[in-house]
Amino acid sequence: MKQAVIAGYVRSPFTLAGKGALAHTRPDDLAAATVAALVARTGVKAADLEALILGCAFPEAEQGLNIARLTVLLAGLPQSVAGYTVNQFCGSSMQAIHIAAGHIATGAGDVFIAGGVESMSRVPMTGFNILPNPKLAATVPGAYMGMGETAENVAKKWNIARQAQEEFALRSQKRAAAAIAAGNFRDEIIPVHAKGGEVSVDGCPRPDSTAEGLAALKPAFDAAGSVTAATSSPLTDGATAVLVCSEDYAKANGLKPIARIVSAASAGCAPEIMGIGPVAATRKALQRAGLEIGAIDVVELNEAFASQSIACAQELGIREEVLNIDGGAIALGHPLGATGARLVGKAASLLQRTGKRYALATQCIGGGQGIATILERV
Amino acid sequence: MAEIRKAAVIGAGTMGAAIAAQFANAGTPVLLLDIVPQGASSRNALAEGAIAKMLKTDPAPFMSKSAARLVTPGNIEDDLPKLAECDWVVEAIIERLDLKQDLYRKIDAVRKPGCAISSNTSTIPLAKLVEGLSEGFARDFLITHFFNPPRYMRLLEIVTGPATDKALAAKVEEFTDIHLGKSIVRTQDSPGFIANRLGVYWLMLGVIEALDAGLAIEDADAVMSKPVGIPKTGVFGLIDLVGLDLMPHINASLAATLPKSDAFHAANRDLPLIKKMIAEGYIGRKGKGGFYRKGKAGKESIGLATGDYRPSIKSNIPEAGQKNLRKLLSGESKASRYAWRVLGQTLSYAASLVGEAADDITAIDAAMKLGYNWRFGPFELIDQLGADWLAEKLQKDGFAVPPQLAAAKGKTFYRLQNNTPEYLGQDGAYHAVARAPGVLLLEDIKRTAKPVLKNASAAVWDIGDGVLCFEYTSKSNSLDAQNLDLLNQTIDLKPKALVIYNEGQNFSAGANLGLGLFAANIAAWGEIEKLVAQGHDVYKKLKYAPFPTVAAPFGMALGGGCEILLHSSAVQAHAEAYIGLVECGVGLVPAWGGCSEMLARWQANPKMPRGPMPAAAKVFEIVSTATVSKSAAEAKEYLFLKPTDGITMNRDRLLADAKARALRLVDGYTPPAPPTYKLPGLSGHTAMNLAAADFRKKGIATAYDMVVANELANVLSGGKADIIDEVSEKDILALERAAFMRLIRNEGTAARIEAMLTTGKPLRN
Repeated sequence: MKQAVIAGYVRSPFTLAGKGALAHTRPDDLAAATVAALVARTGVKAADLEALILGCAFPEAEQGLNIARLTVLLAGLPQSVAGYTVNQFCGSSMQAIHIAAGHIATGAGDVFIAGGVESMSRVPMTGFNILPNPKLAATVPGAYMGMGETAENVAKKWNIARQAQEEFALRSQKRAAAAIAAGNFRDEIIPVHAKGGEVSVDGCPRPDSTAEGLAALKPAFDAAGSVTAATSSPLTDGATAVLVCSEDYAKANGLKPIARIVSAASAGCAPEIMGIGPVAATRKALQRAGLEIGAIDVVELNEAFASQSIACAQELGIREEVLNIDGGAIALGHPLGATGARLVGKAASLLQRTGKRYALATQCIGGGQGIATILERV
Repeated sequence: MAEIRKAAVIGAGTMGAAIAAQFANAGTPVLLLDIVPQGASSRNALAEGAIAKMLKTDPAPFMSKSAARLVTPGNIEDDLPKLAECDWVVEAIIERLDLKQDLYRKIDAVRKPGCAISSNTSTIPLAKLVEGLSEGFARDFLITHFFNPPRYMRLLEIVTGPATDKALAAKVEEFTDIHLGKSIVRTQDSPGFIANRLGVYWLMLGVIEALDAGLAIEDADAVMSKPVGIPKTGVFGLIDLVGLDLMPHINASLAATLPKSDAFHAANRDLPLIKKMIAEGYIGRKGKGGFYRKGKAGKESIGLATGDYRPSIKSNIPEAGQKNLRKLLSGESKASRYAWRVLGQTLSYAASLVGEAADDITAIDAAMKLGYNWRFGPFELIDQLGADWLAEKLQKDGFAVPPQLAAAKGKTFYRLQNNTPEYLGQDGAYHAVARAPGVLLLEDIKRTAKPVLKNASAAVWDIGDGVLCFEYTSKSNSLDAQNLDLLNQTIDLKPKALVIYNEGQNFSAGANLGLGLFAANIAAWGEIEKLVAQGHDVYKKLKYAPFPTVAAPFGMALGGGCEILLHSSAVQAHAEAYIGLVECGVGLVPAWGGCSEMLARWQANPKMPRGPMPAAAKVFEIVSTATVSKSAAEAKEYLFLKPTDGITMNRDRLLADAKARALRLVDGYTPPAPPTYKLPGLSGHTAMNLAAADFRKKGIATAYDMVVANELANVLSGGKADIIDEVSEKDILALERAAFMRLIRNEGTAARIEAMLTTGKPLRN
């Protein structure tokens, strides 16, 4: 079986949906710009690419019609490159990486671009025609439950007080601000031409956040609840792309692998506490890698909400100093289908930066799932 | 003469900015300029800040957010050359002659010939403003005095000078009337013009007489409002509304400019209480409070004698219920004497202004009715009292009787001659009360004509050219079986065209809830269902009538009053039309075709994404929250009005515009084809319920909202429809009716209706 490696990672700036600098940019254009930049930066031979596997949580309207194939054409890749769209909600682009790794392992291709895109400005969360199954809505209410409500459920079940959530969110903002100041995102963010000119920086972080400011906010989802807009990830526009290839191909073609994909897993959980999804997925991935959590020195855990992030870290025993050291989704944003590839790409590059050995990228998924990837520095 | 295509307002203070907003509301691009503030990051900071602030102000100066885009911010250092593109420049800067004249010279240097320049001054005479300026400037200059807030106050005082070009003034007047929607009162170039001079005199008297009489402000406001046809704010409430801080400025200006003999000086007493209140920040509603304020334990009022706040009392003086004005002013009680001393002297002062501030009595009456929302003008009030009676009583009580009042001895100020209203001129002769050209009022038609049809709740009038006008005459123009029946009969007359219009306070606030509740209380379900069916039938008959129908709403058009608009061929709405389907607020769903029409409109909207859900979800959002538009422009955004529907800025021109629209539709008119729908059925119903549940969680929706929303969701999703089936208009109407009948039987709905009837506010059960 061939070993899959990560040999490059870029992303577009992440900006606020609706009012951000990328709100007027079509998601297919955003994805194409990101994919083209990855090809240019890594120097991968485009003709060798087996496929673009693109994650998207609401693949309709401008994200519809198999956006992966359309992105191949828009990005100017050879027509021989296949394109397919993956939907596992927030786990979509991490799943795209898993699929690429699986293809490599089974000999179904040597080099892939896996990534994701979401314009939450242009395709609303839940899509334009939400048509839930009335029977399922009655029997499994969690199946269609709003994400904010699941975050409240996790906060209650794991006793995560509002103040703890706010401390977590504030830390995410501070770490993101410090990372921006240190230029830690310079290598991963590619500039995008948008309506108002070139966009090259993230638009979501709120470096001026204060504990007092956060404490003054009203609950966002439940009048009697503890989750606020500040302890939730914002609606975001963005695209990501990761180069996944076999270790042999990388060597033979002068690419620079940054991490091996050691193991991967998806797992389901109760939909009404979907935020706890990373726990089961991570445990499976660790077991498959033959590792304990203590061996993991870099963790990228998606901060869909502070409540579920804290609950997952507690359950898994993740140390605070290794968790989202450049900030997480609460500060950086969470373009649903694009986030998974950011987590994997970021974890891989952090292994290079820190010189540590193992990294974990994991996230929760609406409908009650989790997904996890374990990487090893090359 | 060229039209006014582009305007500029200089001075981005409260008035200037809001005047610019009104130009934008009229669809006219406007520059808003102010000085460059020291140390600001943007040279246009003042104008930019004013626009941003107005977008957050309530009541809103803009009729729609998109109107703000027509206002271009700038500054007077960089942007004066841009005035060369403007046809009218309004100056609304600080009231200082030297600064104004300095600005005028700069404007004069850049403006194009024939560009009108006007000042919004309220204190400086025109003669002073143009002194020393070029001849050309004086020719193109006039005063246009707007009232605050300019969008909502209909009054505009216009002062022209001897040099002012009459044709130019006429152009400004026409634009102001038709496009800015203002009613123009021409005044003399005298201090305070009409409205401020008479209004301030009345307010000052209102304060000092209450002080002298030792009257509680609640009692003063109770007697100086409803019994005399003045808004319930009375004197003290109105001062709180306009701001106590404005009074010293206007008073000082009037005191400095009015001749010593003027009665104003006696009323302009130094009031330590008001000085103290202003110094402490109690400048009215825009500050911490004024004569009234919201205290921790509830509403509080100033005790005039103590100067301290105390809990407000609910005035229950019998004088507040006195309907006979003469009796009210003749009484011996403290409140009656107060009413007499304030109103008697005010009416006397009003009479003294004829010839000095105003050419005739109609200007003074119009100024007080439009500027202060008085139901009757001073001379209409004098006619109620009798000019002779007033003169005698003034004399008896030692007040001066102005010659203008004495001259009316044995006469009335107004009379009806051959059904035409006439007023008493200074020459002692009667003259016809003139309407502006093109104004058509039902009030005038009704004076001479007999109704074509009539019953207790509605009437039908022939408004000429084969067009009929259907008028509600029920209390508050509420809808009932009788006016539905008369509408049905009217359609059977097959006129050339039909206009639905009236001249009440509001177009219609919807179905008669009192009757509905009564029927529900006696379980007359059959009767209620019959009324629902009747509404369905008549509104559909209106929609499919073989002739054009134009509804002309103004003020509130709610519930059934909105549904009739949805069923008309076209709507010509007054700009200040507040339109909405508010049935959910009283625990019901729109059941006279409101759901079916709104669904059809949103499904046909090319901007909506495809599929069965978006239109249904949008209508659900609008109707479940009982959304009411805050203007006709906003009503277009909700599709209560169609993009092609017309908007009339001047209320007095609404009927004429509606009739013209109806006549334009006559040639080749064909009624619309019934719409068909593709609806999401149970899946959509589930999705809407999920959305409602989220609102419930957030604490926005109440428990009974969920019951009502569930019924509304059932209608809007098409009941058991499948996304591949075609649903007919009849199907939706049947769903509307069934949902309505289920809800009207529910105690939750009964409680909501009862609360609405007794408190006027929605019950959040």
